[in-house]
Amino acid sequence: MNVRRPRRIAWKAAIATAAVAVLALTACSTGAATVADGERQLVIARAMDVSTLDPQRGYCDTCQIVLSALYETVVTVDPEDTTKILPRLATEWTNNEDYTSFTFILDPEATFADGSAVEAADVKWTFERLLNLQGSASFLMAGLASIDTPDATTVTVNFSAPNSAFLAIVAAPYTGIVNSELAEENGASAAADAATADVSEDWFLQNSAGSGPYTLAGYEAGQSVELTRSDEYWGAAPTFPSVLINEVTDSSSQLQQLQQGDVDIAMQVSSDSIEQLAGNADVTTELVDSFNYIYLEFAPGAVGGEVLDDPRVREAIKYAIDYDKVIDATVGGNGKTQGSPIPNGFEGSEDQVLPEYNVEKAKELLAEAGLADGFTLPAAYPKFAVYGVDFDVMMQSIQQDLVEVGITLELQPLEYTQWAEILGTDGSPLTAVYFAPDHTDSSQYVSYFGMVPSGAWSETASVAGPVTNQAEVEGLATALTQSGADRAATYTELGKEMASDLIILPIVNPQLVLAYASDVTGVEYSPCCNLDLAALGLK
Amino acid sequence: MTRFVLKRIAVMPLLLLGVVTIAFVISRLLPANPIAAIVGQRNLGNEAIVAAAERKWGLDQPLIVQYFNYIGNLFRGDLGTSFVTKSPVLSDLADRLPATLELALMALVIGAVGGVILGVVSASRKDKFADHLSRLFALVGSSLPIFWTGLLFLFVFYAQLGIAPSPGRLSSRVVPPPHVTGFYTVDALVAGNPALFWDAFSHLLLPAFIMGWGLMGTISRLVRASMLDELGADYVRTVRAKGVSEGQLMRGHVLRNSLTPVVTVLGFAFGALLMGAVLVETIFSWNGIGSYAVEATRALDYPAINGVSLLGGAVFLLANLATDVTYAVVDPRVRLV
Repeated sequence: MNVRRPRRIAWKAAIATAAVAVLALTACSTGAATVADGERQLVIARAMDVSTLDPQRGYCDTCQIVLSALYETVVTVDPEDTTKILPRLATEWTNNEDYTSFTFILDPEATFADGSAVEAADVKWTFERLLNLQGSASFLMAGLASIDTPDATTVTVNFSAPNSAFLAIVAAPYTGIVNSELAEENGASAAADAATADVSEDWFLQNSAGSGPYTLAGYEAGQSVELTRSDEYWGAAPTFPSVLINEVTDSSSQLQQLQQGDVDIAMQVSSDSIEQLAGNADVTTELVDSFNYIYLEFAPGAVGGEVLDDPRVREAIKYAIDYDKVIDATVGGNGKTQGSPIPNGFEGSEDQVLPEYNVEKAKELLAEAGLADGFTLPAAYPKFAVYGVDFDVMMQSIQQDLVEVGITLELQPLEYTQWAEILGTDGSPLTAVYFAPDHTDSSQYVSYFGMVPSGAWSETASVAGPVTNQAEVEGLATALTQSGADRAATYTELGKEMASDLIILPIVNPQLVLAYASDVTGVEYSPCCNLDLAALGLK
Repeated sequence: MTRFVLKRIAVMPLLLLGVVTIAFVISRLLPANPIAAIVGQRNLGNEAIVAAAERKWGLDQPLIVQYFNYIGNLFRGDLGTSFVTKSPVLSDLADRLPATLELALMALVIGAVGGVILGVVSASRKDKFADHLSRLFALVGSSLPIFWTGLLFLFVFYAQLGIAPSPGRLSSRVVPPPHVTGFYTVDALVAGNPALFWDAFSHLLLPAFIMGWGLMGTISRLVRASMLDELGADYVRTVRAKGVSEGQLMRGHVLRNSLTPVVTVLGFAFGALLMGAVLVETIFSWNGIGSYAVEATRALDYPAINGVSLLGGAVFLLANLATDVTYAVVDPRVRLV
């Protein structure tokens, strides 16, 4: 039996559907939608790591960008010379001879976004809140003894021990000065019990209380952060009336959106993109040095890490890695090696011996340690992809290198929280981590990587238990009493000392790819805040 | 039917309590450390900071106390505060649900309409070129992984051809409509802004098509098989003998009778689309429930995980109920007791 088909019904519906689709796409491609009127909004694509926008609770790379645009610090650092301190809210500052007391004179013209004056009481309140919140960046105020405010524009900060790093620390975005009156009205507290009494974190997600060139217009977790130019800004007004940072996780999506002109700056495009963008006059790309790096951490004190207790074994691993190959595999060759935990460009990084790839030397050292036949080493690491470095790629490359000297690396890539659980229990004999500076003083590297009481990795640095390197303890204390060439020389010695500990092995110091619309100016890697939004302009 | 619906609604809280309890227990059994996401990697070794964070988030309490605290708060409508977003989970879900609902509904419409059209074409032109083409299209949609098609379509239609809009719910620099429903398309119409409506609508098309393509395949196969069965039935011959036109026969009898099984599929599919938008939302920068669930799981954000589980459970229970009710409405032979 022949069946006549309802051809017309089906095709009519299909044509109607297609027409709707074409109409919709056409409407979009002709840019018919409503946009913010007037001046151009700056749009940035970034894989954001924001967990809070409270300046004293924040602790992330994106926080540095956003907070430095909302909250001003008392001083800032010179982008050209990170050891040079420049005025910001304070017009002048002094310190006593032993670096235990710092006095700042605030600019009487400085005002918050609501028009009220920035006063010494706000500085005191901010620093005390940073300390008392017991948050991620509270360590910046370690050793704080007291703060005096003899008048509305004078603040004296006193420490229980010398702290020559303090001027660099108070240039860090987490020390941005908050309008204390406004913040307290919304649940903030700087009191000793601020860790529990302060209930303002939710408020700070949608509001700001700073004196910066921008104010917070809105935040949608996982979606965007929007800043609006502050009408009451007391300094030079920034070019862009508003800045929208959109969450774009994938680097290739960032690249596509930059190519299509949907964003002005793509912050995490891979180094491969440079070739793809070559010849595109609308987009500018630059490779710049950074202070970030990825490192291996040896933990002889971890379960299964006993073999690493012999320094010759750690040194053998150091020689067995082909650094150039790893840098090629991870960032297409756009990175550098690093001689110590103090990164290239920081005080103390000079004269450090860069790691060398020497398989024969590695084998020799293993033979001396009685391990000529090789061994197996577990390596749990987080599945990060930061600063263009995919940890999987890096660890696989290192795994291949170590096979050459008889070491079998058992790779265990984990989600971050799982990895953290392992570190907190059995530990991992070998792991991979990254580090970006919080401020521009080298003391942070000794405090964190040194075999000192505050050191993060000293607990598992030996089978025998926590390790203390007295030379580093004393060296750090000395550096904090110094400045200029003396301090640089001390940090150089501390860098060498940490390199000889060989608990931390920096693998790659990747360069950053700056990719942005060609008519945008002022896109630079900022040592204090990653990207200074207020410095951006238009040709 | 009213009694049936009331009975089903009455047992829902109990079932949801079970869902939340299972989610609570499983998330706590995972060998992972949620504090790591809260304090950051660099502070993991700082006992004072870790202790302060544990106190603040109630993680210093025994597990059983945490559970009863959570359930007690739940009865007061408090789903807790997300470790990651630092916002109440209820408001996070309320913010993101419209985005996912809008996407899932569009995907459902594309899947259902497209599936029925393909099914009708296939059945009415059985074993002809159009049938083979339609079946191939359906097969491809059901077989290709969403992450692959998503990335490929974005690359081709957005990055290369420039005819599809950018990922996200609106174009860059476009101001969202004032919040009424949270559905940008609806809110744009309410605001009387057709340009904004088109912008929001066009952004829905590609991700919704990718989500709905698999469903399209399922429905087209179902419609094709049902229609071929119906076309062989005695009543079709009788209708034709009475001189009814082929179009009327198809619309009024064959297609209508063939759609009953589709209703069942749609009910389940909506629930699956709603809670399964994870990949599409990630690829298309869609700030919905799917991407929220992914971030919650990665950071071991207990309150958010429990909140999403609760929402997922509620969605599936309601979808099942709606399916049963619709089935009874569509097919008078079905009685709900």
